[in-house]
Amino acid sequence: MSMNSGNRNAENNYVACPQYEAALEDQLQDTLRGPEAAMLAEHLVTCAGCRAALEDAAVSARLLAIAEPSPDPGAGFSRIVLARIRQELLTSESKSIWRPVVAVAWRFAASAAFALVLLASFDLGRHSQFVSDQSVIAENRLPEIGVERAPLPASRDEILLMMADTSHGKQ
Amino acid sequence: MAATASALSLPLSRREKGEEERQLVRRAQSGEEAAFEELIRRHQQRVFGLVSGILRRREDVEDVVQQVFLKVFVSLKRFDQRAAFSTWLYKISVNECWDYLRKKKVRPLVYEADLSEEQVSRLDGVVSADQPPTSSSDRAEARDLLERMMEKLPQQDRELLVLKEVEGFSVQELAEILDLNVNTVKVRLFRARARLMDVYRRRLHSKPEQPAEGKEG
Repeated sequence: MSMNSGNRNAENNYVACPQYEAALEDQLQDTLRGPEAAMLAEHLVTCAGCRAALEDAAVSARLLAIAEPSPDPGAGFSRIVLARIRQELLTSESKSIWRPVVAVAWRFAASAAFALVLLASFDLGRHSQFVSDQSVIAENRLPEIGVERAPLPASRDEILLMMADTSHGKQ
Repeated sequence: MAATASALSLPLSRREKGEEERQLVRRAQSGEEAAFEELIRRHQQRVFGLVSGILRRREDVEDVVQQVFLKVFVSLKRFDQRAAFSTWLYKISVNECWDYLRKKKVRPLVYEADLSEEQVSRLDGVVSADQPPTSSSDRAEARDLLERMMEKLPQQDRELLVLKEVEGFSVQELAEILDLNVNTVKVRLFRARARLMDVYRRRLHSKPEQPAEGKEG
């Protein structure tokens, strides 16, 4: 009979064969029956690792038996829960009364913001168009030559003198 | 004959119990408050056990359990009864606990102080089963020591061990609640036990072993 004594972990403790772990848990719970039980029993004879692991598991169960399950919250607990549910429902209902108004307000605010953005962008577009038109006009305008305009005649005599000058020039 | 009758009566009573609960759920779904209150009464202890098994902080447990039943109430109309009500309820409980831990970023309790020689020998007595704690103060101390060791385990190991061994959930129930294969639960449980024993051994034997190793080296 070959004794399997090689199953040890880094801390030199025996460990179970991985393929038998589920069956060992069943064995611990005393729920292993039939051929599986026979197969495990046969394996345990030769495997020191599984035997030690099963013994450890039994010790752990004794250790855990010290702990106590959490106590019953008591008969009043269901009433506390129902009171909290009612409270939550009331809060959510009061929220739901204002919810349509809030929703409409948000929609209105969103539409107004959108319209504002549209207007601003349109105005910005128009302004930039105006600026570019002005620059085109400015670019196409002929440079002004310094032409001195004759002063307007102030009296009839001056008109006559001007006419005389003009006709004199032609002659 | 009597054996046959008792063998038949057990599944039948379970079936009847299941049918009764389904009717209770239907009544609660139609808005009957008394039916919902009855459902809370039936399941509050196990939900408490489940939540305290995961959270391990008594002060948070009641609040989370209330939140669980609130969620159940809100989504009860959507529950189609394809699974058992208890399974559905326990799944909600587990999710609520994990949400709570995530939101609160709860750090595990850490006990800095190690066990004294006296405490170690008492715990050894408890485990070897020849000196089980008799007085309530001894039992409380043993529970405290166990709690300290459990805190050294990974969260998943701790949850499984507490839910199975302390709160009394079956392997089948744990598999359903945690969405795991039954065999996976068994393997994880067995490994968690081994890790608990590693922690126990380190605590129990670290002090006497250390000088011996020093002499050899």
